[in-house]
Amino acid sequence: MKEYALLIVSAALVNNVILARFLGLCSFMGVTTRIDTAVGMGMATTFVITVSSMADWAVGAYLLEPYNLWYLRTVTFIMVIAAAVQFTELTVKKVSPPLFQMLGIYLPLITTNCAVLGIAILLVEQKMNFIEATLFGFASSVGYSLVMVMFAGLRERMALADIPRLFAGPPIGFIVASLLALAFMGFSGMTS
Amino acid sequence: MTMGETVDNMTDFSAPTMTEGIAQVVEVDGNTAWLVPEPGSSCGGCSSAAACGSKGIGTVSSRLEARRFQLVNDAGLRIGDRVVVGIRENALLRASITAYVIPLAILLTAGALAQWVAGSDMVTMAAMLAGLVLGLWLARVRAGHLMTKGELAPRFLRRASMGETCNLE
Repeated sequence: MKEYALLIVSAALVNNVILARFLGLCSFMGVTTRIDTAVGMGMATTFVITVSSMADWAVGAYLLEPYNLWYLRTVTFIMVIAAAVQFTELTVKKVSPPLFQMLGIYLPLITTNCAVLGIAILLVEQKMNFIEATLFGFASSVGYSLVMVMFAGLRERMALADIPRLFAGPPIGFIVASLLALAFMGFSGMTS
Repeated sequence: MTMGETVDNMTDFSAPTMTEGIAQVVEVDGNTAWLVPEPGSSCGGCSSAAACGSKGIGTVSSRLEARRFQLVNDAGLRIGDRVVVGIRENALLRASITAYVIPLAILLTAGALAQWVAGSDMVTMAAMLAGLVLGLWLARVRAGHLMTKGELAPRFLRRASMGETCNLE
């Protein structure tokens, strides 16, 4: 149980997918202008990453490894992720069309989110078992959502601040992101 | 809808804040108007669209058509009218919890229970799959409740003025 707790802390905070691994920066800058959109994107990504982590592990363990097809892992994982996003989209649409109208906007962004593929490749390279892979995917995406919401809150405050014209918009966003990354470095050393 | 900006009510802070978006009327059927969200970046952050890389996916007409919604046409809307619609700000949060958190929580709980009882990867996977199906069913029930209360439905706020866009900055 202790190993699982350390795995969660490591994936969510110490090796945060955005601020330590620098993955998913497109959505990090693009969808964090408002807290509610960041929350929506974070939850959708958490769901898709967790489901696709499980699927990627299963494909790796039962298809790629027995047939020695590891060289196909990148293209295979991209297909699995696209299928997971499509599954989520169709399911949400079927379960509740009004929910799809509100939330469907985030799903295509996830397909092109390199964090999803990065997590899938990391979990197979680290030779995790199924439970570890699922927890790793879940914790990484929770860390992703946490940073998205924090950054969205900061950007909402920055919108009200008197920022010099030269720094307004993305420049000040990148400066704040770098300060956040420095703050997250404080977690380093807690776990590997 | 998801794109747009929050209305800052300068006088009444207790008034519910709305998230606004612009939509275009594509069909009028009696007292019902059908609208599609105005094309924009899929993330809603128009000013970041150039750096986003997903704009092409989010703006294809079929995707916008899939997000078509209806409003009661009390305002006498006609085809081609651009209008500002809004939803309560916390509606997106409730919708996200319903669609994603409930199925995910049940999936993970089912997996943890199966691992604790059986300790086999195959049994855990099967339990997680069953948990996902159960979670989606519960999400459907909860979405039905939210819909009955009218929390997921966008409301007509006003006609969009000339040049009004979804740009946030």
